[in-house]
Amino acid sequence: MRDFLELSISAAASGCIYGLIALAYLLMIRPTGIINFAVGEWAMVGAFGGFLLLGRIELPYPVGMAAVLGIMLLVGWATERIAVRPLVERGAPLLAPILALLGMLVVFRESISLGFGPDPHQVPEPFGFEHQKTYMIVATLIVFAGVWLFFERTTTGKAFEAVSLNRKAAALMGINLPQVTAFSFAGGAGIAGLAGLLVAPNISAHYLMGVPLAIQGFTALVIGGVGRVEGALLGGLLLAFAEQLTVRYAPLPAGYAQGVPLLLLMLFLLVRPTGLLRARA
Amino acid sequence: MRKVLAALLALAASSVFAQETIKIGVITDKVGPAKPYSEPTLEGIQFGAGEINAKGGVLGRKLELLIEDDQGRPDISATMARKLVDAGAVFILSITLTPATQQQQNVTLEAKTPQMTPMNSGDTLTTQLANPYFWQTGPLGSVQIATLLSHARAKQLKKVALISDNSDLGQLLAKFFRAGLEKSGIQVVTEEVVPRGVTSAEPQMQKIRAANPDAMFMAGVLTPENVLILRAYRQMGLKFPIHSSYNLSVPQYMSVAKGLLNGITFVDAYDPDKAEVRKFEADYAKANGGKTPYNIHGYGYDGIRMVAEAIRRAGSTDKEKIRAAMQQLEFSGVMGAKGMKYGFPDGKRTGFDPNGMVVRVYEGDKQGRVVHVGQK
Repeated sequence: MRDFLELSISAAASGCIYGLIALAYLLMIRPTGIINFAVGEWAMVGAFGGFLLLGRIELPYPVGMAAVLGIMLLVGWATERIAVRPLVERGAPLLAPILALLGMLVVFRESISLGFGPDPHQVPEPFGFEHQKTYMIVATLIVFAGVWLFFERTTTGKAFEAVSLNRKAAALMGINLPQVTAFSFAGGAGIAGLAGLLVAPNISAHYLMGVPLAIQGFTALVIGGVGRVEGALLGGLLLAFAEQLTVRYAPLPAGYAQGVPLLLLMLFLLVRPTGLLRARA
Repeated sequence: MRKVLAALLALAASSVFAQETIKIGVITDKVGPAKPYSEPTLEGIQFGAGEINAKGGVLGRKLELLIEDDQGRPDISATMARKLVDAGAVFILSITLTPATQQQQNVTLEAKTPQMTPMNSGDTLTTQLANPYFWQTGPLGSVQIATLLSHARAKQLKKVALISDNSDLGQLLAKFFRAGLEKSGIQVVTEEVVPRGVTSAEPQMQKIRAANPDAMFMAGVLTPENVLILRAYRQMGLKFPIHSSYNLSVPQYMSVAKGLLNGITFVDAYDPDKAEVRKFEADYAKANGGKTPYNIHGYGYDGIRMVAEAIRRAGSTDKEKIRAAMQQLEFSGVMGAKGMKYGFPDGKRTGFDPNGMVVRVYEGDKQGRVVHVGQK
């Protein structure tokens, strides 16, 4: 029983990170249809922001965190300006910005590798080593609550929803499409960066951390479905519990357990391609 | 008039020759996976070459390093070796990934150019190709494991857990560890793998806790995953001792795993108490604005000094004479246990003494004293 309780907290913390990355994907997919695999690299940039501002310069945690968030919003906005908007304005097919963003993934990773070197770096935790998982869970719940409220209670949030339902009709209603796209990328980067900052004390900040996070987040998104905000969190939690309970309890040789979440992903795609939660009509 | 001109030309030519450098090629990895190891090794080589040149060089000539980057890629590393041979290098130091170093040997064997790796630990570098122009002075992987196991035997362990990551090298080391442990009559009660990119190692550590081992062996080589293992170990308040592969001797752990390291033993080729090490560290720091070197710098430093010594003993830059001198060389450097000498007796081409490795312990967050020496 002790093992199960310990593991539940550990899996919940990991699931929150996957959920945040899935949410970052979702924020961009909903209004634009663009799958941005560079979200993992955004998480990495957030982690290195934490290393620099909290570890090196030793800013107080809330100040450092706000600064990382601010930087990430800018990074997301700039990414949209550089890699997405010029292509969309020229009428390129949807695949073009997705490929351009894959290129940005390499740019982010190599820039960090050149700037910080190949070694991993420690990122400080705000409440100490024992409370990090609780902190990760609480911070994630606050973010999800905030995003849910944004979509449900604000006019801008409704505009996002409108764009995701029908871009042309939304434009005819006077909604500024480029602005919605820019906001969605800035928001996606902010949330991905936050995920990086939260997970970095556990896994260290290093230049290769992005791709695994991008894959885990994407798997969570597929499981939860792109239709609803809470689906991202549900998908993340399910994936993390599947991963960790399999390693602990499944009678499989070491190393084989890591295949189970991928099987889960395939199963979901076959049985329920829209994910667990469907968008409201 | 013609005679005067000829004499002048001869004089000019001789002064040019007097100043001509001895070219030593270095093939390093500046961007690939070996970068964390290649970079400090290169700094050690550069410091060593500078020291030799400051004392007048070798055979009255300065050493000149020709540095090439093969990105740790076997597919381009042979080209780099060819480039260095064509540029007149009389010796090549390989400080890149093991497969890349292996590939360079095709060129050095054909061009009869002496080549040495002062840092690679792959056991197969001197066995796959009968290349009399190649030597290896980094400690072999099998020696690392044998040293750690000899320490384990001294502790009279009966049942242990084994944990690694899913990298190629991590899996290979785990295989060697398991075979060595079982051969010593120590039972491996559970074996766990922490895959690259996970965010928690708690499930694996719970299984190990349930198996109740006398100790845990860490064979992984991925730093972030090793840190995750150590975090779970501390968080769960586990008490069994941890014995680690050479990977934990990388100084990066002292900053990235702060507060998690006390009491962990690891295998190393560096004894900070050795007089040669103390002198090396002091001299290096003096020449580099106070920057202290660490074990990996020592590989490069020893490597370039061995090359210089071989050329000195050969008495010329004739590659065949250098090869013969290298094979006869006996040399004590900064690496290895106290009193260890590199040597290549009976035609051997691996120069690191199998009893030259040590087991050290982390004291707080610092890499501390030696607790075990060699394989006996």
